[in-house]
Amino acid sequence: MSLLALILGVSTFAQESPRVQSPMPELPVSLPGWLSNRGADALFYKAAPYNWAINRIPAFAKDMYATSVGHAMAYEALVTGKSQELESKTFVTIDRVLKNPPSNPIDEAEISPRFVQKYGYLEKVFDWAHTLHFQTIDVLMHPGWSDTQKEAEIDRLWAFYSSEPYAISGLPTNMEYLDSFPYSGAFRKNYPKVNGLFWGYHWLQTVNYDMLFRVPTADQKPQYALIGQRYHETELYRTDRDFMPMTAEMSPRFARRFPEVTNAFDNLHMLHDNVNDILAQPNLSDSAKQSQVKIAIYRVLASTHRGEKPGEGEPKTLHDHRFPYGMPGMGMMVGSDESSMYMSGMGWMDMSECAHCSIPLPDEGPWGATVSAEGWTMTVRCMMCARDMAAETPGRAIIRAATEDENRLLVMISDEEGNWTSNIKGIVFLEEFGEHPNCSLWSRVFTSRSAFDIFVAKVPELKGAKALSLDQWSKLNYGTPDTYRKLNRPNPYHKDPPIRLRERRDE
Amino acid sequence: MNKAIATTIGIVCISIAIGSDHNNLEKDRPLRFDDAYSTAYRSFEFQAGFGVDTFDRSKPVYNLQFEIQYGFAKNRDISIGLDPYFTSESGKLVGNAIDLSYFEGVSREIGNNPAFGYRIDAGIPISGGDGAEFRVRGILTKTLVHYDKIHLNIDYLQTTSGSSGDRKSRMGAIIGYSNPIGYPTRFDRTLLAEFGIEQGMTTGSGYNSWIGIGLRNQVSSTTVFDFGVQADTSRTSGEPSSPLRISVGYSMNF
Repeated sequence: MSLLALILGVSTFAQESPRVQSPMPELPVSLPGWLSNRGADALFYKAAPYNWAINRIPAFAKDMYATSVGHAMAYEALVTGKSQELESKTFVTIDRVLKNPPSNPIDEAEISPRFVQKYGYLEKVFDWAHTLHFQTIDVLMHPGWSDTQKEAEIDRLWAFYSSEPYAISGLPTNMEYLDSFPYSGAFRKNYPKVNGLFWGYHWLQTVNYDMLFRVPTADQKPQYALIGQRYHETELYRTDRDFMPMTAEMSPRFARRFPEVTNAFDNLHMLHDNVNDILAQPNLSDSAKQSQVKIAIYRVLASTHRGEKPGEGEPKTLHDHRFPYGMPGMGMMVGSDESSMYMSGMGWMDMSECAHCSIPLPDEGPWGATVSAEGWTMTVRCMMCARDMAAETPGRAIIRAATEDENRLLVMISDEEGNWTSNIKGIVFLEEFGEHPNCSLWSRVFTSRSAFDIFVAKVPELKGAKALSLDQWSKLNYGTPDTYRKLNRPNPYHKDPPIRLRERRDE
Repeated sequence: MNKAIATTIGIVCISIAIGSDHNNLEKDRPLRFDDAYSTAYRSFEFQAGFGVDTFDRSKPVYNLQFEIQYGFAKNRDISIGLDPYFTSESGKLVGNAIDLSYFEGVSREIGNNPAFGYRIDAGIPISGGDGAEFRVRGILTKTLVHYDKIHLNIDYLQTTSGSSGDRKSRMGAIIGYSNPIGYPTRFDRTLLAEFGIEQGMTTGSGYNSWIGIGLRNQVSSTTVFDFGVQADTSRTSGEPSSPLRISVGYSMNF
């Protein structure tokens, strides 16, 4: 423990280890042979009835199509010697497209021809992963299938994706390690506005899965009215993020069900960040940049990690596949351990606990609910925690909650005043306030009065419990629970000691 | 209809394509040149087209084009097509050949080296047709200033039919140009232009040449509409000249 920490009595400082600083990587002994292939190797998506179901929500589809533009334009600027225009002219150009999104998908290679001349092999990795992104969305938005069918198809999609050599690993990967090279962070530091756009649409690309997963197709579009507004007004222009948005942070329900897909998206986004940083290096030659991009690809390829398993691996190395407890769909982050991690904008979190009452989330059964507000999504144990957490947050919110019917997900959207609308008419709430460790028992939601009665009749301690309408339930508020435990640790992304001191004094 | 016209139509209508993306340039959709990229692996593409040839020494000829392509391997595709045509002289629809094609994209554009691909086409007679036609085409595609590209197509054509005075083999070349319209604010249109030259069909004759301009417009995620206009700029004696050739088409992949 440092003398400074002793003086301040900050015991948590003792648990911190220095951030990983890796040397400039060297080419591995053998790179995958396909990196040298001269063919374009264009791949078509899996033929299926759900393809282009994304167009069922035109605003969402257009926003997603527009995301193809940003990286391509920035990469093109970087390889054509126009890096000095990135924060001005290029930013304006990308932003204009994001504000006026196209109606059809865009071929990134066509708007970054010079980049593709140099890094065509990288484009293969990006294209194939983006195909997985879009087809997963299409499956979730397909109106003709049950949730069970959709989940089985996403498993098949993952197998289809993984069959190609360009596939990115579905293992959780240590993000601290992947972001620890001499070039790491250069792009976000030197081009914060453009990087903000990138991370902004990575937010959109990751937040949408919980908007869609197990949500009836008719209930998907209303959520995008809120999410799309947040995306355009705030998320695209944030320059205060410590790290890129992680899929499990934005879509925890989807991430728990499909950890491999989720990890592949995060590894893809990390590859984007690595490439941004490499291309933004003024002191690297073209040849050195080519080598570093190949190494960055190698790090995240599935073939590099063949035979390795989630939860295993030497900490803070390339083969560290540990994950925070309860969240197999996310690799370890800067400063994190199995029980806690730092989430930008939210502070230190334990993803195995309810974000509102800090009671451990149940391992099985209904998962409770998630609350999405202010750009974040948190998992909570019960409806009371969901409501009260949303009430603590300014602005609109979305609650997605399990009901007694596992095939009927409750989606509630609030307005600015906290008035809720529900996708299920006649929902009934149970809220017999008691001990928080049992809150998932006495605070629940049911699709009908009869379902409420059946549940209450089975639990003796709930005898006489009142059935609450949405209106009655909305008016309740128990504030922050006594059990809530805030993890008071400094932001691990801020390495400057004075910031640590300042944060500590504020607590 | 005279044989020269029929032969011309037959060659023009052997077609193949890559994916339904307005940037992916496909022979006959709407101009005659190809780019050096194949259709995507595992992709099917259906194309339909309608064209009118206004020959100066005969009545117009109307032709239809139907083709289906399949990316059977990475950078390789095959296609099969029918090109029935109708002349007001004969008063009937004629469709006596089936077109088979193989395409291979050998190399993408890497550094300053252009993309390279080739295709082999065969027009096989069916139901009373006579003589087969073959073409081998080498294709180079290279980025020019920024988004625009130039496409050089070199053709070798061989036919098994024709009279004693006809060439059995001929050479041709097309320089194609493509440039997306609207970048960086819109991304759904590509302008095309070409200049082509080809040996005349009669032994000892000179060269035929033509120019063309066209547009490919993305209609939806999977469909492209195209429109093109071509005009013969020179024609060897004995071959009818077409002052205006109009084509419209539709491509869809699945």
